[in-house]
Amino acid sequence: MNTTADHLVDDYLKRLRKELAGLPRERRRELEQEISEHIAEARAMLAAENEAEIRTLLDRIGEPADIAAEARERFGVQRKRSGALEVVALVLLLIGGVVIPVVGWLVGVVLLWVSEAWSARDKLIGTLVVPGGLLLPLSLALFAGSSEACVETRAGTDCTGGGTSVLPFALFVVLLVAPLATTVYLARRMRRGAPMLTT
Amino acid sequence: MVAGGQQDALLAQMRRGTLQYCVLALLAEEERYGFDLVRALAEADGMVTSEGTIYPLLSRLRRDGLVESTWQESPFGPPRRYYRLTDAGRAALEGFKREWDRFRDAVDHFVERKAK
Repeated sequence: MNTTADHLVDDYLKRLRKELAGLPRERRRELEQEISEHIAEARAMLAAENEAEIRTLLDRIGEPADIAAEARERFGVQRKRSGALEVVALVLLLIGGVVIPVVGWLVGVVLLWVSEAWSARDKLIGTLVVPGGLLLPLSLALFAGSSEACVETRAGTDCTGGGTSVLPFALFVVLLVAPLATTVYLARRMRRGAPMLTT
Repeated sequence: MVAGGQQDALLAQMRRGTLQYCVLALLAEEERYGFDLVRALAEADGMVTSEGTIYPLLSRLRRDGLVESTWQESPFGPPRRYYRLTDAGRAALEGFKREWDRFRDAVDHFVERKAK
């Protein structure tokens, strides 16, 4: 057991996985597998396994970014900056549901899942936080606005006062901030290497 | 006079273009497993700068049907993926060899003339 060596190798493979993100799934898997096998073989041949040896071994294999660049070139996958599809998806997720109630947001979800710029996890976050985007908080604001109007016109009667509106207000803030945060998050997580097959 | 950077780029392109035929030639003699193949190429002076960049090429050659791979049990550990030449790969190698001979002779004819 040599935890430093394992750590170095794990770290290398993690970086490789990240760099290969834009490639077709089966190519990516194949490369990850082959290179981790290569590392295992090379490690088995080391006389003594120490940090310096492992670092030398990984240096010989090369930078993950270089391997990924080579793979993109060999497979005709181009590195593309944020695509129009991704931008439209983000806009629709946020305000699509407001412009065309529900349907606009649904189109955004479809585009989100069609795009290859995000991982499945990011897509799930984009879908679940928060369904409808700004539709829900804006509807709430409208609702709250009308109830406030109610307070003004018929003050002192059945209408709810300021005390009970604290909880709905907190909910409103969360519902308003969460979709905005998700949009920022997805924009940052967007892979620059969205695949575009040319061959 | 070719600038250093330009010359480096040219050599890199030449390596890139011919590397796949070196892989095919290595496999023409015998089937090999990935690690063995990559080490053989990496040990040839000036052929590859990093071992890992050969794997995308192998993957591409497989997709193009020039090589095929089979899993074989290894006495030392998990099964290994062995590569071998397909008929199409053999034909591609033969074709390249003919062109390469002509090309090399033509370049030598001019480049080596002064040296003699």
